Amino acid sequence: MKHLNSKSTQLFLGILFCSSIPFWANDQYQIHIATLIGIYWVLVSGLNLVVGFTGQLSIGHVGLLSIGSYAFAILAGKLGFDPYLSMLVSGCLGGFCGLMLGLPSLRLPGFYFAMATMAFSLIVNELVLAQGDLTGGGIGLAGPLFPAPFESPIGFYYFVLAIATLFTWASLNIVRSMWGRALISIRDSEVAAQAMGVPIFRAKLIVFVFSGFAAGISGALFASLQSYITPDTFVFELSLFFFVCIIIGGKGSILGPFLGTVVLTALPELAAPLAKLGNLFYGILLLIVVLVIPEGIGRLADMFIQKIRPRLVKTEPMKPDLSRLAQTLVTYSDTKRGQK
Amino acid sequence: MLNVFVAGLAIGMVFAAVALMYNVMYSTSKVLSVTTGHLSMLGGVFGAYAISVLHLHWTIGLLAAVLVGAAFGWITELLGVRRILAKSDEHLWLLSTLALATIVQQLIGLWWGTEPKPFPRLIAQDFNAGLLDQKFWLPIGITLLMAVGLELFYKRTMYGKVFMAMSEDPFAARARGISTDQIRQMSYLLSGALGGLAGFAAGQLTFAYFALGLTLTLNGFIALAVGGLGSNIGALIGGIALGLLNAFVSHWFGGEYQQTMAVGLLLTVLLVKPEGLLGSRKLRPV
Repeated sequence: MKHLNSKSTQLFLGILFCSSIPFWANDQYQIHIATLIGIYWVLVSGLNLVVGFTGQLSIGHVGLLSIGSYAFAILAGKLGFDPYLSMLVSGCLGGFCGLMLGLPSLRLPGFYFAMATMAFSLIVNELVLAQGDLTGGGIGLAGPLFPAPFESPIGFYYFVLAIATLFTWASLNIVRSMWGRALISIRDSEVAAQAMGVPIFRAKLIVFVFSGFAAGISGALFASLQSYITPDTFVFELSLFFFVCIIIGGKGSILGPFLGTVVLTALPELAAPLAKLGNLFYGILLLIVVLVIPEGIGRLADMFIQKIRPRLVKTEPMKPDLSRLAQTLVTYSDTKRGQK
Repeated sequence: MLNVFVAGLAIGMVFAAVALMYNVMYSTSKVLSVTTGHLSMLGGVFGAYAISVLHLHWTIGLLAAVLVGAAFGWITELLGVRRILAKSDEHLWLLSTLALATIVQQLIGLWWGTEPKPFPRLIAQDFNAGLLDQKFWLPIGITLLMAVGLELFYKRTMYGKVFMAMSEDPFAARARGISTDQIRQMSYLLSGALGGLAGFAAGQLTFAYFALGLTLTLNGFIALAVGGLGSNIGALIGGIALGLLNAFVSHWFGGEYQQTMAVGLLLTVLLVKPEGLLGSRKLRPV
């Protein structure tokens, strides 16, 4: 029983469930959505370390996603390089851009940092439009498919699943390490963390570069899935979407943001009226969560479970051994008398 | 060249107006609201709606713009700031105001349409007036008026002094019998009204456009951060600098690099002088 509750077993069961999706999905479209969730999750898992664990409110990750996508489309599509290598290069480029963005902006306090990242996402879109020769400008670029076993939708789904698992595993490990604890301490009190000897700027920068790498990889997969990318794909609202996934899921959790990504991606697809009102819906959801349950929906689930199945507190009632007590008292009074 | 200068000055003054609004809200609540630019956007959209669609006189359009701006400022305080400050978590106000900004932007997008629509002429004037066109001097004049008015308000009136007291130390102000909640609400109302006014005055320059809010929020913030948080003169200087930079960059290099240059200016100033040109340094982190 103890074995079943461990993190790795839960992860394993989750993967097993996800692998079974192609066998019972009704049509290609549902597999497409599942793949999209996986790709978003690669980005969100990286962003979660920045937002949920380090407390740095980056609302501009769509810029890094865009960079990864375009790098992949240019390298693998236009120049004809190996797709796997191109994907790795787009990841590294995402990480590098994360470094370049993080170096000046991570020194800034909360609102300043959020504005800097938002401006970054606008800049990326501006440059994509300006460099028409390289990126196709407003017309866009075709994103190539991956070779043989992964070119079909189902094959590509398994490929994305493998990468998403890798990133989940990596972020689980980071969170449990000393580094993860340092990140949480930065989120809760920067001054206290600094006083305890946490290298604040370096820790923030490393985790931000990691999230940039995740965004780059995610962008490469995204370009391949969508098969055609234009600057209109990478609007600021998409950034907001990633951000809302994490906030709704809850800070300092990995399962919560994952559920947030699944629900928020799938919900507008399942309920048609929501698709048109998508961004309005995200805004309202964000407001409700911030006002009513700032800890996130993940916390709500915890409370619910507590209610149904309260955690048993082991109590061990002690029965007083009366005869032994009496004997002790007798011996005690005897020794007292002896002393007199 | 003079043409570029005047156009840059006019748009810079719009940014300066947004920066002034940031200052008014920041003074009483220490919150930088994401909805600041949207207050101006609402002024432009509702002004255009009242004049072009409902065919009302422009004074009524102005009144509508100011009232809607003030109402949204009030809503911002009520939903986005008050409950959050009561819980005293540092980052949550950013999320709640971001959510409010998204909601209002999407609602306007659904109702008004996602295309920029022209703002009507306010005063009968020939369209080839060139540099003396009202679309340039209206925002410049209104923003200067706003800056002078705010300065007088802070220095000369009782409520202005109460605002200053709250910005210095809210706890001490409360201890002296100032109803801080009420004053904060007043500051959001004032800021919303000013935003509606600025959006109305700048309507012919910026058009009545639903996505304008986010641009103004960002550029107004850059102007504020360059000039120094909390300083009204700094806001004017920052706004003018940013507007001129934008205009000349797009004149020389084309319009594609505006945002890049604006953020370049922001990061340069923040790296050299983190508190901005005229801002005051925060002394104690603990």
